[in-house]
Amino acid sequence: MAKQRRPRLLLLITALMVLSLLAGCGSGGNDSANKPVPSPENTSNEGGKAGDAIVLGEKPLEFSFYGNYDWYSMPVWGDDLATKWIKDDKKVNVTGINSGGNTKQKLNTMIVSDDLPDVIWGDRGADIENMRANGLLVPLDDYLDKYPNLKKWAGESTLNMLRSPDGKLYQFPNWYTSQPNGNAGYLVNKKIYEDLGSPPLETTEDLYQYLKLVKEKYPNVVPLEVGQKEGIDILASAFAENHPYRFNLMMAVPEGNELKSIFTDSAFRESLQYSNKLYREKLMTQDAFSQTKDPVQEKVTTGRIAVFASSSPTEFGVMGDSLLKAQDPDAGYIMIWPVHKEGLDKNKIFPGDYNQLGWNVSVITKAAKDPEAIFAFLDWLTGPEGQSVSMWGPEGLYWNGMDQDGSTIFTDKYTSDPEGLAKVMDSTVNFQWAGNTVYVDGVKSKFEQTLPEEKRNWETRWQLEITWKTQYNTTEFVNLDPAGDSEEGIISQSVFGIYEQARSKAVLSAKNEEEVLAILDQAEKDAQKVGYDKLLKYKTEKWQENLKNMKQ
Amino acid sequence: MTPITIKKDQKLKTNSLMRRMFKQWDIQMMVIPALIFVFVFSYIPMYGVLMAFQDYSIYKGFLHSPWVGFKHFEMFFNAPEFWTIMRNTLVISLLKLFIGFPAPIILALMLNEVRKASFKRVVQTISYLPHFLSWVIVSGFVVSLLSTDNGSINILLQSVHLIKEPINFLAIPEYFWSILVTTGIWKEIGFGSIVYLAAIAGVDPHIYEAASIDGASRLKQIINITVPSIIPVIVIFMILAIGNLLSAGFEDILLLATNPVLRDVSDVLDTYVYRIGIQNSRYSYATAAGLFKAVISVGMLTLANLVARRSGNSLW
Repeated sequence: MAKQRRPRLLLLITALMVLSLLAGCGSGGNDSANKPVPSPENTSNEGGKAGDAIVLGEKPLEFSFYGNYDWYSMPVWGDDLATKWIKDDKKVNVTGINSGGNTKQKLNTMIVSDDLPDVIWGDRGADIENMRANGLLVPLDDYLDKYPNLKKWAGESTLNMLRSPDGKLYQFPNWYTSQPNGNAGYLVNKKIYEDLGSPPLETTEDLYQYLKLVKEKYPNVVPLEVGQKEGIDILASAFAENHPYRFNLMMAVPEGNELKSIFTDSAFRESLQYSNKLYREKLMTQDAFSQTKDPVQEKVTTGRIAVFASSSPTEFGVMGDSLLKAQDPDAGYIMIWPVHKEGLDKNKIFPGDYNQLGWNVSVITKAAKDPEAIFAFLDWLTGPEGQSVSMWGPEGLYWNGMDQDGSTIFTDKYTSDPEGLAKVMDSTVNFQWAGNTVYVDGVKSKFEQTLPEEKRNWETRWQLEITWKTQYNTTEFVNLDPAGDSEEGIISQSVFGIYEQARSKAVLSAKNEEEVLAILDQAEKDAQKVGYDKLLKYKTEKWQENLKNMKQ
Repeated sequence: MTPITIKKDQKLKTNSLMRRMFKQWDIQMMVIPALIFVFVFSYIPMYGVLMAFQDYSIYKGFLHSPWVGFKHFEMFFNAPEFWTIMRNTLVISLLKLFIGFPAPIILALMLNEVRKASFKRVVQTISYLPHFLSWVIVSGFVVSLLSTDNGSINILLQSVHLIKEPINFLAIPEYFWSILVTTGIWKEIGFGSIVYLAAIAGVDPHIYEAASIDGASRLKQIINITVPSIIPVIVIFMILAIGNLLSAGFEDILLLATNPVLRDVSDVLDTYVYRIGIQNSRYSYATAAGLFKAVISVGMLTLANLVARRSGNSLW
C-alpha cells in the first residue's frame, strides 16, 4: 500500500500542473460572465419626445422577440400569408428567440449576460416588475398620444391599471377588453344527454344524479371529465354566488374589504366535498391530477365523456363537435348554463372570469435600437388593419376593407372556404401579441348574426349564448402575487405547496365528507404557521390599491 | 477483458516521473481532454457556491449582491418541509441502494451461468436497452401502464379478477416508493450488470475447473469463487453509491410524481431545490440546499471509504 502511494501522489501533482496551466485560459471567459449589468443610464434610448410619428413601411424595422413561456416558440416570420404581407408591405421583420422549454432559466440568463431581446412578451407580474425596477424597460408614455390605436381601444382605466409603481406605462397589453370574454363552463355530450332523456341539469344535485345515470348506462364513458384538475376548481363556482375559480388560483377569497383564507371558504370546502364524492363513486376522471393534456383531448374529441368542466372546454369542444357530427349529425356537443347549488341565483354563478387587462403584455427593453418604431408597429397591430391582417390574412382574401363603423367586411370566401380560412388563422395564432378583444369579438359577432343558425360557428354561438354571460370581471384582483424572492413570495410558495397538497388529498384520499374538512382544517393550520396571514394582508393591500386606481 | 495485469511492468521500472510520462505520451494525451472537461465544468463553476452566502440578484450580479452569511441555510433547516424531505431522500436512496444495488449483480451472476451464448446475448441486449431511453419516455410508459382509464395493468388485473375496480396507482402515496424503485431497476439493471459481467469474465477459469474436480456444485462455485472475485468491483461501486446517497433521484421523481397528493412521500432534496429554488429564482436558497447536500455527500463518501479501506478495497 505504502509503496503505491508515491506514484499516485506524483500523478496528482501532474494533474494540478495541467489544471493551473488551463486556469490561465479559464479566467478570461470567467470575467465576462461576471460582468455586472451596465446601469441603464448609459443607454441612449430616451424615448421619442421630439419628431413626428413614425410611418410603418417607410423605413425597414427589425427587432428580436422573446416569448416568456416554456411552451412558446415563435414561428418563422414571413412563412405564412399574414406575416409575409407585413414583411413585404410594412417592412417589418421579427426574429424570434426560443425559450428552449425552460423560460425561467433562459430569461434569467439573458438578463445576467446583458443580452436582452428587444421585445419580451409574457405574463404580467413580478418578473416584469423586477426588470422595470432595475431599469431594463422603456416607458411608453411619450408614444401613447402620437399613435392612435392603443389609447383608443384600451382606454384610460385599463392603461392606468397597467402602470407601474413609478406612474409610467411599460406594458403593451394583449387581448385587453372592456366586455366579458372567456370560455369557462360545462360541455355536455349531446347524444348521451338526449339518449338519457335530457334530464334537467341546473343544480349540483341534478348534475350528480345525471352522472350516476351515465355511469350506469355507459360504463365506458367518463361521466365528468375535469381535464387536468381545472374542472375541480371550476366546480367551486357552483357553491357560491360571484365566486369564479380565480379565487382558487389566488388562494384568497374576498369578504367585505378583506381577502380571507381559501381553506376556510365555505364554497371551496363544499366543492371539494362534492368532488371527493364524485371521485369516490368513480363519477369523475380518476387520474385528473396526473394525466397530461393529450388523453383529455382524445377523450373529448372521440366523445368518450358525458360532461366536461374546464376553463376552456370550447378548444376541444369545437374539434369534437365537428368530428362527432361527421359520423352522426345528431351527435356533437352543447354547453349548459353553469350549475349551481340549490337555492343560489343561477344568474350570479360565474365559472370563469376575465379582466380588462387581458391575457398578457409585451414590453420593450432598453436593448431596442428604436423603441418608438417597435411601439408604432405594436400600435398598428392592435388597430383594425393590424388585427384583420393578423387574424384573417392580408386584405383581398377573406376580407376586403372596412364598413362605416370601422368593422372588417368579410368576403364570400370567408364562409365558402372554411378550410383555407382555418389554415390562415391557425398559422398566425402564435403571432397574436397585441390582440384587441373588443374589436375582434365585435366584428365576429356582428358577422355571425347575419348568418342562418346552421352556418354559425359552434364556438361563437356558445360564447354569445352562455360563456360571455357567465364570466366574472376580476380586474380588481390582478397583480396580487408578490415577487418570488420577497418575504411574502416565500410564504406564497409554501402556502401554494400546502394548497396543492390539501386539494389533491381532499379529493383523492379522503374517505368521507368529514375527512375532507379535517384535511382542510389541517391545511389552514399549516398555512398559518408559515405566515399565510401576512400573505393575505399583502394581497388585500394590493387589491385595495387596484380599486383605488380603477376609480381614478 | 482482463484488467489488473499491468502491474508487473510498473514495478520493474522506477524511472523519474517525467521520463515515464514522456514514454507514454500518447496515453497521457488521451487523459488531457478529460482533465480539461473536469476543470472547466466542475472546478471553474465552483466559485458559484459562494452564492449560498449572498442574497444573489440576477440584476446586481455576483460581485454586487449583498453577503448574508448563513441566512439561507437557517431558512432551509427551519423550513417546515425540511424533515419530510430528508426522510424521503434517505428512504428512497436506501431503498434504491438495498434493492437497486444488488439487482444488477444478481443479473450478472445469472447471466454468467447461462450456457447458450445466443440467449445470453438477447437477454443482455433487451435488458440494457431501457438505459438509453430518457426518463421522459420511461415515465410516459409507466404513467400510461398504470393509468386507470385503459391502463394495461388495471385491465390485466381486472381480467384475471384480482381487482374489481381499477386502482389509481399513481394517486396512492403508499405505492409510490415501490413504483419508483421498480421503474428505476427496470431501466438500469441491464446496463449496471455490464461492469460486473466484465469483472466475472476476468476470473481465471482454472479455479472453476479445480473446484468442479473437487466436487463443488454450480451454486457453490458462484458463492465461493465468482462472488469473492468480484468483491473489489462491488466495494468500489458501493462506496460511490453511498456517496450518492442524498441524490435520491431527480428526473424520475419529478416526472412520475406529478400528482401533489404524493408530495409527502416524493419530495426529495433535488426536486425541492428545483421547485422552490430554480422555479422561483431563489438562487441563493437553492445553492445553500445544494451545498448542504454536497457537504454531507463528501462526508459519507469519506466515511464509506474509510470502512472499505480495512478490507483493502478502498477507492483511495
